Amino acid sequence: MDFGMPIGAGIAFGLGALGAGIAMSRIGAAGAGTVAEKPELFGYMLILLAIPETLAIFGFVIAAMILIM
Amino acid sequence: MLQRMVKVQVLGPKKDLESIVDTLYQVGTIHLEDASRSHEQGGIILQKVEAKEADTIAANLSKIEGIQLVLPKKPPDLTKQTEIIQILSQKGQESILERAQEVIHELEAKTRDLITRKTDLEFTIANLSRYQTVIEKILPIEGQIPALEGFEITIILIQGEFEGILELIKEKLTRITHNQCELISAPIDEDTIATVVVFNRKYSSDVHTFLYSQNVNELRLPNEYLNRPLNEILLLNEERRVAAVKEVLEVEEELRELSLTWQDEVAVLARLLKDRHEEIKVFNKFGQTDYTFVMLGWIPRKFLDSTKKTLHERYGDSVVINELPASPEMMDEAPTFYDNPAFMKPFEYLLSAISHPKYREIDPTPIFAVFFPLFFGLIVGDIAYGFIILGIALLLKKKFGERLDWIHPLMNLMIIASFPTIIFGYIFGEFFGDFGENMGWLHPLEIMGVTWHRLDALIPMLVLSIAIGVFHIILGLSLGIINQWTKMRCTKYVCECRKHICEKAGMIIVIVSILILLGAIIQIIPEILMYPGIVMLIIALALIIYGGGVIASIEVISLISNILSYARIMAIGTSSVILALVANQFGGMMEVAIVGVIVAALIHLMNILLKMFVASLHSFRLHIVEFAPKFSEGGGKLYNPFGKGDRG
Repeated sequence: MDFGMPIGAGIAFGLGALGAGIAMSRIGAAGAGTVAEKPELFGYMLILLAIPETLAIFGFVIAAMILIM
Repeated sequence: MLQRMVKVQVLGPKKDLESIVDTLYQVGTIHLEDASRSHEQGGIILQKVEAKEADTIAANLSKIEGIQLVLPKKPPDLTKQTEIIQILSQKGQESILERAQEVIHELEAKTRDLITRKTDLEFTIANLSRYQTVIEKILPIEGQIPALEGFEITIILIQGEFEGILELIKEKLTRITHNQCELISAPIDEDTIATVVVFNRKYSSDVHTFLYSQNVNELRLPNEYLNRPLNEILLLNEERRVAAVKEVLEVEEELRELSLTWQDEVAVLARLLKDRHEEIKVFNKFGQTDYTFVMLGWIPRKFLDSTKKTLHERYGDSVVINELPASPEMMDEAPTFYDNPAFMKPFEYLLSAISHPKYREIDPTPIFAVFFPLFFGLIVGDIAYGFIILGIALLLKKKFGERLDWIHPLMNLMIIASFPTIIFGYIFGEFFGDFGENMGWLHPLEIMGVTWHRLDALIPMLVLSIAIGVFHIILGLSLGIINQWTKMRCTKYVCECRKHICEKAGMIIVIVSILILLGAIIQIIPEILMYPGIVMLIIALALIIYGGGVIASIEVISLISNILSYARIMAIGTSSVILALVANQFGGMMEVAIVGVIVAALIHLMNILLKMFVASLHSFRLHIVEFAPKFSEGGGKLYNPFGKGDRG
């Protein structure tokens, strides 16, 4: 059995998700502090928190394409 | 849509100012601006109107609210309150303040005395209960306490973890009292130790000073408890506690009686004074000359006639509302007033989490109302999930809608989003994942040669998501061009807007040229079109660099990243299907049918709750991160009419 493709897909998704996780942890920590002081900035905090999520989505798309195509 | 606003100038005789302000407050349509600052060169300089009564009303309101807080709550008698309001309204504004002062005179001292008595008594009861606990615990060691003439007893409480400190205290006290003291300890509970200190009374002051300086928790018994056996102290203590509890009940009864008589009137006065204070607070926004006053503000076009009519009916021609000519510069300052149909209100609520559009900008709410449910439906896409989300939303709205402000709009949002979920569920052939298909109830539809089974049609789903992204981003950029075009009417923005329009147009051409190039490379369009595609790309880059400089050309990468970000619709949708399949397969693996059903139901429920949150968040995110920045500047000030109700 060829393990190359599943491993490649796993790396693509895993690293994407890891990167998103690291970025979101830092943004989330800073954002929580911001919202504690200024609750009206919750909307902006959500936007900043949502930005790195794209990395994980890209990882998933690449993984899916490796496996399917 | 945003409602058209009209800037108005209200002119009237100064002698009627209070009454006119009251009328405008009741009508509640004008968004006030500071008129005292606004004067043209060479025109009359207006003076600020000073509200003399404001401080008196604020002071009386604060006293009335204080009384209201002290009086125990009883169900309000609305008929009585309406009667009081009618009587006070007939007598005029001054009578409200007069009556409030009478009520304060009647109740302030009385309620203050009662509440002070009650607080003191509650403090005493708490202390007596504390003595009770400690004395009960040290009762067994009473025999060890020496009964000596001229000796004083005090009790100190030490936390269990600091038990070691007792040795140090004993050592120090022995020194202070020249060896005329004794310490006897007994545990009160798991955490506290009570220590009885017996010492010669002539060192009383030094001992207490030492204990106080060391921050030791000292339980000082009342003087009448001293030199009595502990059993007697316990009885005396209990008697005093019962008497105090009885007195508290008497005080509460007195307060209840006062509340029965006065609560409704106090509530009415608090409300009326609050209204009056709100009215008076805005007085310093008005300008005045010797005989007239001027106020400036914004009124939505649809309320203008009714406002004019009300003022005319009450004051005839003595009050004039002038519509000021709408110059682009002036309209740049206009407040934003959402005027959308009721079903779009939940989307306004969601948008309020970020920033309101400026008056001259396009209201993103209708676009949001179309695409949010569409994205949500594409992500969740399951008939059963759609119905369950609808049920949960209706239930939560009914149960908590009244109590929690945010539940109502959010659940309305879920109700709207559940319909496309059901429709896309039918297209994808999903009913609890593949359960409906396995039972032969439904199958994925075939549209444009693709069977929309989400797991098998990953690539078509990806292409569809990206295509939606392309359309959404181009729509955003086009709206951005329209917004900039509108803003350009204001002469001070002309140069800036022209550049923004070029930049946004360049972005649209970049997207189209990339699509053409991709189409030519994978040969779905003739290869010859590649050359016009390249020319378009060069023109687009030139426009972007002209519009936003070299830095803006880097934005092209973020534009592509924004479009690819729409792939999340496919990605999160796929994760939803897979979790549904896991639920079905896991349930099917159980040997007992009922256990299988319960396990599958729990996983499906978890998936539904997760998707309600995740699908909403990502649909919202696609709007606020990818779409809205393409056209919306934000920073608009919301229409906030001067009045009781919020019409916005």
